[in-house]
Amino acid sequence: MKIADTFRLAWSSLASQPGRSALIALAMSIGVGAVVVLTALGEGAKGYVLDQFAGLGTHLVIVLPGRAETTGSTPGVLSGQSTRDLTLEDAEAVRHLRGVVRVAPLNIGVAQINRGSLSREVVVLGSNADLLDIRHMKLSQGRFLPVGPMDRATPVCVLGEQVRAELFGASGGLNDWVRLGDRRFRVVGILGGQGQQMGFNTDESVVVPVAAAQQLFNTASLFRILVEAEGRAAVEPVKAALTATLKTRHENKEDVTVLTQDAILATFDKILTALTLAVAGIAGISLGVAGILIMNVMLVSVTQRRHEIGLLKALGAPSATVRHLFLAEAALMATMGAIGGLLLGQLASAGLRGLYPDLPAAAPVWAMLAAVGTAVGAGLLFAWLPARRAARMEAAQALARR
Amino acid sequence: MLIRDLIFLTSGSLTSHPLRSVLSALGIAVGVAAVILLTAMGEGLHSFVINQFSQFGTHLIAATPGKTKTHGAELGMFGNTRPLTIDDALALKRLPDVLGVSPMVQGNAEITTAGRARRVTLYGVGPEFEAVYRAEMASGRFLPLDDQRAPRAFAVMGSKASAELFGGANPLGKLIRVGGQRYRVIGELKPKGQMLGFDLDDTVFIPTARALELFNRDGVMEIDVLHHAEAPPERVEADMRALLMARHGSEDFTITSQKKQLEVLDSVLSVLTFAVAALGSISLAVGGVGILTLMTIAVSERTSEIGLLTALGARHRQIMAMFLGEAAGLAALGGLAGLLLGLGIAMGLAGLVPALPVRIAWDYVLTAEIVAVSIGILAGIAPARRAAKLEPVEALRAE
Repeated sequence: MKIADTFRLAWSSLASQPGRSALIALAMSIGVGAVVVLTALGEGAKGYVLDQFAGLGTHLVIVLPGRAETTGSTPGVLSGQSTRDLTLEDAEAVRHLRGVVRVAPLNIGVAQINRGSLSREVVVLGSNADLLDIRHMKLSQGRFLPVGPMDRATPVCVLGEQVRAELFGASGGLNDWVRLGDRRFRVVGILGGQGQQMGFNTDESVVVPVAAAQQLFNTASLFRILVEAEGRAAVEPVKAALTATLKTRHENKEDVTVLTQDAILATFDKILTALTLAVAGIAGISLGVAGILIMNVMLVSVTQRRHEIGLLKALGAPSATVRHLFLAEAALMATMGAIGGLLLGQLASAGLRGLYPDLPAAAPVWAMLAAVGTAVGAGLLFAWLPARRAARMEAAQALARR
Repeated sequence: MLIRDLIFLTSGSLTSHPLRSVLSALGIAVGVAAVILLTAMGEGLHSFVINQFSQFGTHLIAATPGKTKTHGAELGMFGNTRPLTIDDALALKRLPDVLGVSPMVQGNAEITTAGRARRVTLYGVGPEFEAVYRAEMASGRFLPLDDQRAPRAFAVMGSKASAELFGGANPLGKLIRVGGQRYRVIGELKPKGQMLGFDLDDTVFIPTARALELFNRDGVMEIDVLHHAEAPPERVEADMRALLMARHGSEDFTITSQKKQLEVLDSVLSVLTFAVAALGSISLAVGGVGILTLMTIAVSERTSEIGLLTALGARHRQIMAMFLGEAAGLAALGGLAGLLLGLGIAMGLAGLVPALPVRIAWDYVLTAEIVAVSIGILAGIAPARRAAKLEPVEALRAE
């Protein structure tokens, strides 16, 4: 029998029981749909994190004071307090290294901001003019911190949009004076709304020159030095050069941690991929359940269609043909279910994207292929027993019994 | 029809096609087992994390510098115009119901001994840290009750730092160098293990005032207050707030009680367990579709049986009950098998891999069973209605 004939025959027998076939396809499509939606969600989360990191800067190398020797601790938990300061001179020295495009020293802290009788706690970022480009911040009004030597504490500041709105109301703020802690600063610029980034909201922060922040917080040490390399290829050489330079500057002691953004990114990527796989695997269990259902229904239909099988055998159909017939039926049902599930999953992913535009939820191709493959595979696997049972029937016996 | 007859009829029709019944029940069983196993893992993780956090005691309230509620991270500890000081900690100590206070500053420092050096996490803590954080000494004693403003140069080692620096030799009485200053080791802590990526043993503890000097800071990162177990945390919190407000002039600090943190953590982890349960129940739904399919087939196969029953005067409700009972029975059997399967695997896992936290979530086990039976009944409704609505004459003619 030709393959086309096999499938035509299988299709007609499925069509004769539309309700039953539809239910099985439904079961399959629930499973496939779940896998597709969940991987889409996982991919979306990954895309979201990547986006956030890209917003933090590209080709970044980050220097923080202190070093841990136990590798178990993630770099993020280093509090940045060290007996050996990371100083402005260090940042200045790093600026002249080959492959370094921009260097932004960073001090961070919390201070009270006052304007007239209005006051509020804000996050203060102490940095320099390069921070704007490194962190991909956007200005909505005015200009950013002035270019100049890092150790000059010019009394100017750039306000986040929300801070401006709360201190100055609907409009204004530019060129006004505000008080941060015990110092006065002139507002030279307003940051554009950027929203939340990695749990950090620039809308609620104030940027001041790094030297001013150090005076404000009475510290000589930097919290971080952000270094932007020329390109992707320059990241590793810059990291090595940074480490060497700072080691020489710190009396030959390696007491800083140098991280590349790519390394942090790779860690996140690994965690999220593992999570996506685990979730998809759990959803995949339902494909197995759908496979059991196919087996069950095929067994029933083998019993019900004993006459048909007997007739086929009596007309000289070899066992293989009968087996193929049933396997084709299972494959057809599973495929229909898989296609339905794909549609369902895509629809749900599109819905997710509509609800949360920040989350680029789209199932990766490998996940869709794997889901469909598993569905059809499970269908064929579980149909094997019923198909074999049908193939092994004796023609006379099958026809004789009612 | 008597209940007994109903049960007899239903079980009869279930056993007449044993393989079919087993397979339908198996679908539900896999779903229930998945839910039980996943929630057991979720619950295990839940209790593991909560234990990790509450190992320091639940009567802790922490004050941190800076007040910005919108940020996840407390940036106040990195820099602040209004620092929290050791004097603040000493003032807090005088509050009613306060048992102990530990001003804490944490950083990274190189420790050198004769011939060896190692970078460790350096904690500046008060002498009451031992009581506040339930630290246990392996040997020696914790930091003495010196004047907090000018404590003597003593240090206490974490077990790993001690092993790395002294190679297993007794560290008591030895001298270590921390950032240019000499400290005498007077104690070693018992190993505490890792917590959320922090190695709690690769540490050295020195008095807060000296750590502040080392790190060149004015303010501590956190003041931990241990209060009396019977004292209401809300009142202690309010007292702390009032005192610090009086000392600072405004609310430029954040107070978090361990209890509140645990509650937040608890709710987050409960959501996690719920999420994995929901994922597992996808399989349960697929199993339900399986029962629906099988019942549909059964109704069409047993048309003549139904016709006969109706002709003999069986009521619609009785026919409905028969088929619903069959569906529910299948689901319940599947649920039971799944329960045994899930519990078996969960306990096996717990036995084989003791590191994996597995704890059976009985509320989810019960819910899974109820959901399984309800799914069975729901799946049975449509076929049962169809069976009940059959006209006896039509049904009998079908043969």
